[in-house]
Amino acid sequence: MPEIAFHRPDTVEAAVSLLAGHAGSRCIAGGQTLVAMLNAGLLEAPVLIAVAGIAELNSISFRPNGTVRIGAAVSHRRVAVARELGGSSAVIREAARVIAHPAIRNFGTIGGALAHADPAADYPAAVVAAGASIEIAGRNGRRTLPAQEFFLDYLTTVLEPGEMVTAVLVPNAKAGAAGHYLKFSRVDGDYAIVSIAVTLESEAGICSKASIALGGCGPKPVFDARANSILLGTKCETGIIGKAADILIEMSDPIDDVRASANYRRALIPRLLPRAIRQAWCQIGPSP
Amino acid sequence: MRIDERFAISAPIEKVWSFIRDPHTVAPCIPGCESVEALSANCYRSTVAVVLGPIKARFNVVVQITEEVPPNKIVCVTKGDEGSKASIVSARSEMRLTALDANTTEIACNSEVSIIGRLGKFGFGIMKKRASQIAAEFAAAVQQRMQSAHA
Repeated sequence: MPEIAFHRPDTVEAAVSLLAGHAGSRCIAGGQTLVAMLNAGLLEAPVLIAVAGIAELNSISFRPNGTVRIGAAVSHRRVAVARELGGSSAVIREAARVIAHPAIRNFGTIGGALAHADPAADYPAAVVAAGASIEIAGRNGRRTLPAQEFFLDYLTTVLEPGEMVTAVLVPNAKAGAAGHYLKFSRVDGDYAIVSIAVTLESEAGICSKASIALGGCGPKPVFDARANSILLGTKCETGIIGKAADILIEMSDPIDDVRASANYRRALIPRLLPRAIRQAWCQIGPSP
Repeated sequence: MRIDERFAISAPIEKVWSFIRDPHTVAPCIPGCESVEALSANCYRSTVAVVLGPIKARFNVVVQITEEVPPNKIVCVTKGDEGSKASIVSARSEMRLTALDANTTEIACNSEVSIIGRLGKFGFGIMKKRASQIAAEFAAAVQQRMQSAHA
């Protein structure tokens, strides 16, 4: 392996200027995917910029408006037990809990997992369903955009060269809201064959807000406003969920791989979706 | 890894054939194709770059046409490598042209591709999807160039 220059900046601004100053440089946080890819010769990174030591990337905090800010270098293990993530935001906490296994959860970070944008990973669908935003720093300052717009394609995000993820902003958890993350894989700790992230809100026993995102079903999290709106005004009955599943199947474009065929993945959607929605609904609404 | 793609071009079959058969008209339509050089009437050397998120590869390939039936069918064998990065690619590809009507031609491609070396460690599932995206970009580029050539 060629020699790699290693930098350890103290601030986001210093990290961004290092990124801009070195062509082909990359951020490294937990390195759980990046190092494996470097070892496999899939990537080249002549310059690595370690961001795990930057203080502002390491905290979970509340903003005055109730938004939870998760720093990009917060490990999966910390997100998995974050009390700040209640109500519908629990979908992110639950996703963190099933990422790979404990050793990886201790090192891997939310910012790293999102920037890698593997469609079968757990966080992408969860942050989309939670309605979270991604904060990005670059040479011209910071920008924030909805998680849904962050992912573009397989392993591809809106991040431009010289930019890095600095935080995930999760909206205020309302009373009467619940979230659930359901992952289907054959082997514990593996990537999802299909995963379903769902957040629901109820008012007087009726669904007043719904957000569903699928992992492992396309080049980026599958999300369709029509599937969400079908659930509004209902008690999330089985027949209604089936209609939402039909739309999501139509929007899916899964891969064939060693874990499952594309058809198998599509067939899982109508089976997993009712389970995921019922898990969230039973926390906030009457049984259907 | 088997790749099957088909798409239609709005042009008569003879025009599509001569466009596809000429490396200098078709090369600019191939996404990532950086150069093409004719070694003989049936053999070409080319450099093609493929990008998948953070993974970048540049293959030096030699394409040998082994069979052709104008204007319907062309078969070629592609062999190449990545230079120092030690991935070796080989493929047997067949392209069939069918006139759907006087002004529409369907192109059906199927390839049996094998990749060994570092890129072989990467999942074929996503690679196959990337191949479909490349085919769609190729189809759009052929369509666009043929239209502007006839305008």
